[in-house]
Amino acid sequence: MQIEGSGSQRTARVAAVKGFGVGALVVGLIALMAVAAFRETARPKPQQVATTTEANRVERPAVTAEEEAYARALWPIHAQVKQDAVKMTFAGLAYKMGDIKREAVRQRVAPLTPAFDSAASALNKLHPPASIRELHGEYLEAIKLYREASVTMVKVAVDGRDAHLVDAQLLSEKASGLTLKVGETLWPGEFKPN
Amino acid sequence: MNNSLKKAVIAASLAASALAAPVAQAADVCSVWLVENSRFMGVPFGAFMPDRAFVPGSTNKSNNINTVDLPVNVGVIKCGNELMLYDAGWNQTEYHKATGTDHWSPLSKQIAQLGFDAKDVKKIIVGHGHWDHAGSLDEFPNAILYIQKEELRGIEWALNYPGHERIRAVNDSPGGCARTPACGYPSKTMDSIYGKVLKGKAVIVDGELEVIPGVKIHPAFRAHTAGSQLLEVPTSIGKLVFGSDAYSSWEGIRDWNIANPQQTDTVQQFLAYEQCYKITGGYQNCVCAHEPLSYTEGYPLTKNSWVGMNGGRLAEIALAPGEKSRKK
Repeated sequence: MQIEGSGSQRTARVAAVKGFGVGALVVGLIALMAVAAFRETARPKPQQVATTTEANRVERPAVTAEEEAYARALWPIHAQVKQDAVKMTFAGLAYKMGDIKREAVRQRVAPLTPAFDSAASALNKLHPPASIRELHGEYLEAIKLYREASVTMVKVAVDGRDAHLVDAQLLSEKASGLTLKVGETLWPGEFKPN
Repeated sequence: MNNSLKKAVIAASLAASALAAPVAQAADVCSVWLVENSRFMGVPFGAFMPDRAFVPGSTNKSNNINTVDLPVNVGVIKCGNELMLYDAGWNQTEYHKATGTDHWSPLSKQIAQLGFDAKDVKKIIVGHGHWDHAGSLDEFPNAILYIQKEELRGIEWALNYPGHERIRAVNDSPGGCARTPACGYPSKTMDSIYGKVLKGKAVIVDGELEVIPGVKIHPAFRAHTAGSQLLEVPTSIGKLVFGSDAYSSWEGIRDWNIANPQQTDTVQQFLAYEQCYKITGGYQNCVCAHEPLSYTEGYPLTKNSWVGMNGGRLAEIALAPGEKSRKK
C-alpha cells in the first residue's frame, strides 16, 4: 500500500487539495450570502407595513447637561403653574355655568395670586444656560400674566362685571401660549396623542 | 269657500309641496368631508391598541405591525347652509418639530381647500376636550362650541383630586400623561373653551341634543373621557356617527378591540361602539378620529381621498343632492 508518493506528486496533490478547499470556501460563502439575502428579503418588516416616517423624522438636537438640569428644576414649578392656571380657568367656567356665585370666584382665585408669586420667586432662583435664556424670560412673562389675570378676575366679586373675566381670560390665554411653548421645547413628551 | 275652490287650493298646495320637496330633502341630508389635521408618526401600535401590540417575529396580522401613523381627523359637515365641524384638531407647532408629527396645517386653511371660509363655520361639536380635538377653536371666531357639561365636570374633578400625582387633569409627569385617568387638558385649550363661553359662543350640553334637525349629539360618557360625545349625521349613504376618541380606531370598532384607552372605561367604549352599530346598522359608517387606515381602501368610508397641503389628506365621504364635489 503506497501511503505517500514522491515529492513532486505530493506537492501537486497538496496544491489540488488547497485549490479544492479554496473553491469550496468560495462556493460556501456565496451560498451563505445567497441564503442571507433570501432570508432578508423574505423576512416580514413590520415597521415598513405601517410607517414611512423614519426618513422624514426630524431629529431633536441633543440637550446639554446644563439645559437638562434647568428643565429638571423648572418641571415642578411648571407642573404647579399649569394646575393653578387651569384652576383659575375653571373658576370662571363654574361661575359662567351658574355652579358658583361670584364670591366663590374670589375664594377660588385669590389664593392663586400668591401661588404665582411663589412660582416667579422660584423661577428667579434658577440659572438658565444662555441657549434657553429666552425661554426662561418667556416663562417669567407667563407667570406675570397669570398673576395679573388672577388679580383682574377677582374684581368680578366686587361689581359682578363680566368685563373683568374677559380681560383676565385674554391675559391667561396669552400666558398659556407661552408656557405651552416652553413645555413643548423642554418636555416634548408632555402631551401624547389622546 | 265652495268645494271646487277648496279642491283647487288643495291641488295648488300639493303641487307647491311637491315642488318644495326636493329642496326640503336636500336640507335633510348633509354633505360630509374628512380632513387630516396632522399625523402622529411612528406610534407603537400596542400603545394605541393593546390587542395589536407588536410581537417580534410574529406572523399573526394582529401583532406583526410595530408602529403606526395616526391621523388626527376632523369632520366637516354641511347641512343646507349650515357649516359645522366635528372636533377641532390642534396647533402646537413646537411639538410637531420635536416629536416628528407631520402633515399639520392650520385647520382653517385645510377647510379652505374644500372651498370653505373659517368665518362661515357656525358650530363646532367636540367629541371631547383634549388638546388634539379642541385645539383650534380660536381659528373659528363665529362658531358656537358644543361641549358636554360632564366633560367639564370630569376635568374639574381631576383638577381638584387630592391623591396621587398621576391622577390629574394636567399631567405632573414630564414623561407624559398616558394611562392617567384624566389628562390632556393644557391650560391653552381650556382657555380657548372658556373664551368661547365668555363670548356667548358655547352651548354646554347635558346629554342628548338635536343640534339641527337630524343632527344629534349622543353622550358617550367615559367612553374615552368623562364627557365624550358622538354626533349622528344623516347623509345620502345613510347615517354616519362621528366618535372622536370614543372610537379612535375603525378596526377597533370592527373587531371589538379597545383603542386609545388612556382615560377610558372599556365597557363604556364598547357601549359607544354598540351605539354606532345601532344607529348606522353596522360599523362601516362609524367615523373614527385616529384610524391608521384612514384615507385608504382599508377604511372604505374614507377611500375617496386625495392629498392636500403639506401632505395632509382629505376625503369626500358623502354629498347631499345638489352639492358639488370638492375633490381636487
